[in-house]
Amino acid sequence: MSVLLQQLANGVVQGALIALIALGYTMVYGIIQLINFAHGEVFMVSSYGGLATFTLLPDDLKKSPAVALPLMFLGGILVAVVVAVVMERFAYRPLRNAPRLAPLITALGVSVFLQEAVRVWYPDATSNLPYPKVFPTGSLALGPISVPWTGVLLVVLSVGLSILLQTYINRSRMGRAMRATAQDPDTAKLMGINPDRVIVLTFVFGAVLAGVAGVMFGGYLNNINIDMGFQNGIFAFTAAVLGGVGSIRGAVIGAFIIGLIKTLAGQYMPGGTQYDYVWIFVVLILVLVFRPQGLFGEPERVRA
Amino acid sequence: MTTTAAEKRSALAPLGKPFAAVGGVLSIVAAMLPWVTFPLNDGNWPDKSTLSFFDAPFALTGFRWHMLVLGVLVLVAAFAPTPSKGRVVRALGWGVLSVAAINGIYLVVKGGGFGAITAYKDVVAFGSIAGVVAGVLVILAGYGIGIEPPGNWRIKLSTPVAYLVLLVSFGAVLYAVSAMLTTGGVGAGNPYAGAIFLSFLGFAGGLLAALNGIGYTKWISHLSEEHRVFSVIVLLACALLLPFTDAGNEYWMTVAANIGIYAATAIGLNIVVGLAGLLDLGYVAFMGIGALVAANFSGAAAANFGIDLPFPVAAVIAAVVAGIFGAIVGSPTLRVRGDYLAIVTLAFGEIFTRSAQNNIGGMTNGSNAIPGVPQLSLFGTEFNKQLTLGSVKLPAGVLYYVLIVLLVAATMTVFANLKFSRIGRAWIAIREDEDAARAMGIRTGKMKILAFLIGAMLAGLAGAVFAHKNGTVSYESFKFLESITLLAAVILGGMGSIPGAVLGAALLFVLPEKLRDFEDYRLMIFGLALVLIMRFRPQGLIPDAHRRAELADENVDGTHVDELPKEAKA
Repeated sequence: MSVLLQQLANGVVQGALIALIALGYTMVYGIIQLINFAHGEVFMVSSYGGLATFTLLPDDLKKSPAVALPLMFLGGILVAVVVAVVMERFAYRPLRNAPRLAPLITALGVSVFLQEAVRVWYPDATSNLPYPKVFPTGSLALGPISVPWTGVLLVVLSVGLSILLQTYINRSRMGRAMRATAQDPDTAKLMGINPDRVIVLTFVFGAVLAGVAGVMFGGYLNNINIDMGFQNGIFAFTAAVLGGVGSIRGAVIGAFIIGLIKTLAGQYMPGGTQYDYVWIFVVLILVLVFRPQGLFGEPERVRA
Repeated sequence: MTTTAAEKRSALAPLGKPFAAVGGVLSIVAAMLPWVTFPLNDGNWPDKSTLSFFDAPFALTGFRWHMLVLGVLVLVAAFAPTPSKGRVVRALGWGVLSVAAINGIYLVVKGGGFGAITAYKDVVAFGSIAGVVAGVLVILAGYGIGIEPPGNWRIKLSTPVAYLVLLVSFGAVLYAVSAMLTTGGVGAGNPYAGAIFLSFLGFAGGLLAALNGIGYTKWISHLSEEHRVFSVIVLLACALLLPFTDAGNEYWMTVAANIGIYAATAIGLNIVVGLAGLLDLGYVAFMGIGALVAANFSGAAAANFGIDLPFPVAAVIAAVVAGIFGAIVGSPTLRVRGDYLAIVTLAFGEIFTRSAQNNIGGMTNGSNAIPGVPQLSLFGTEFNKQLTLGSVKLPAGVLYYVLIVLLVAATMTVFANLKFSRIGRAWIAIREDEDAARAMGIRTGKMKILAFLIGAMLAGLAGAVFAHKNGTVSYESFKFLESITLLAAVILGGMGSIPGAVLGAALLFVLPEKLRDFEDYRLMIFGLALVLIMRFRPQGLIPDAHRRAELADENVDGTHVDELPKEAKA
């Protein structure tokens, strides 16, 4: 029983991480119907950005987590935002009206490029890099289970930020513009909305969340590598699909489901953790085949 | 607000011919100027371009000879009556620019600064700068003259003359391929091999684009379409003659055989992606399944079953098993479309990789791979041994090369026949508009699964050959990146086009061999190249004659259906 509870807790933490990334996928897909494959790499790059920020800090600042940690978040988010904006401007925007295969393949190209750029140019990026220990240590003990404080922080950040995002999109003027663009870009344009600005902002929001996720990933797992982007990107994408692409709430709930599947399948399914990956993909395929619109998505509209 | 293309052109128009003249002469001059001010650490930059000034203007070799040829061609193209003049001149200009820029940039990097290509210690060497200026001038001249659609020759030839033209053209292709493989030497022999090769590629690309602009390549493809059987025989003969050229050594035979395997796989993928329009991101898994099955049924050392079947039987089993998996992977296409389908195939690919990595069912041997897959042999000669044909000694591995050329030819035949059959037309209809296709009475579900099945079978067959040729089979060879590389080969070459898939596979698998200097940056350049192709030439290098509705703009390239040769329409 305590094993089950512990795995449930682990699953929730994993889900929180995946949710932060999945929001970026779901928002971009909701607005320009692009599977932004490179989003996982934005998450990876931000993690290295956070690490680089820490490395560049003077020694006395490194010792005080209260200063170093926020700066790392800032650095990671900044790197993620810059990468996302550049990528949107130079890779995706020229293809805005291209047939749908073209941006998808471009996204794959950007993904390969980012991963390789970090591998080649970041010092020692070929092996796992340890993440600085500026995060809260110790664990929260809840009866038979214990969750590291980094995990708790991750869940709090993830849930908090997604509520914030949902509120922003529902309440603010810009959020309304985003929803309008997602529904009908041409009409939105006629109503005085600048679609380019909305799209860039969507990428920026996604990148900020991915930046938070990137730094927290390092804090939770203590080391990072260049493969983390692809793997977690796929998980996050699966979560977004599961929840219904385009839906904020769906992405978060989908992410928690994926996190739980991963840990529970690793514990209870034949093959153990070596096959946890496989079960996620099985779920992905089943969802796509039997409920392509996801749990909270609208049935797919027929596009011309 | 911004100057439109038309305004730019009108500003350039009067400058077209003068620019072409100056640029052409300048590139000829650049060919004879010195290019480097001092010998580099690895010795003189090749072809006497260090410090030499007109020392042997009639004995130019290598890239300086290429510059000279391009310069002369620019002058000829600009002042002789040439069809689609602007396009030809622009293509040649890009050739000049890339040759000059590649050599210049390499010299700056290797020589440690711009002193290497300008002035250093009283020595001047402005060759590359003159070349770059010439290239830019010629490109602008091309725009000034005006970019028209590529020429369209309607010359009808009598059969023997047409045969002769085809023979000469394909012979030239053979020569070009051999030259491309051997340029810059084999492997690490020449310290400048990478740059020399790239420069050659720039030259060859410029020439090819010019030929395309003039309408020659289109004419040849019409001719070969008319005399299909003859061209196929000649092309096959050319491919089989490669071992007799300069490229006929063990190293290039191995590389060419590997290219062939991936080309065959890419053609299979082209059925799924190019014809049926179903994006498959996990395709290499079928090749992996084929390789693993072949390894297990051929008595490999680490195989589980201890079954030792002859190669043809094992290959057929491999193809069938891969085909079955193809049908399974394809079955979601009944319900899933577009991007979502791509994700489903990606998920299947990842499931394969993960399962193979964990040695599922004891069949893949996990990360230890399956070693010791026996070499193929015919009449007691193992395929990886040297072969003596009369008095000619053929390099080792030549038999694999021959086998794989035949494999590629076979897959091409399958592809071509399918494409122009009822099934192929159904696929193209599905690609263009699935609902309309269904309304026309095409059973779309069956057809889509068939596309996956046939594509997977071809990949499985290629995988079986792969297993025997390489001797070991590891899941490492069949990961996501390989799927992307294959997809890139198909897209780079041109979706739905047969020569395109071969060319794409050749480029993507020769370049890494040639560019060992840049090994670290290989994948990065690959990613960047994908982005750039999608941006600037989404229809690929050799676009399919059927206009690609998925990727090309209207009227960018390709032919309207009513212009197609009769055979294609029938």
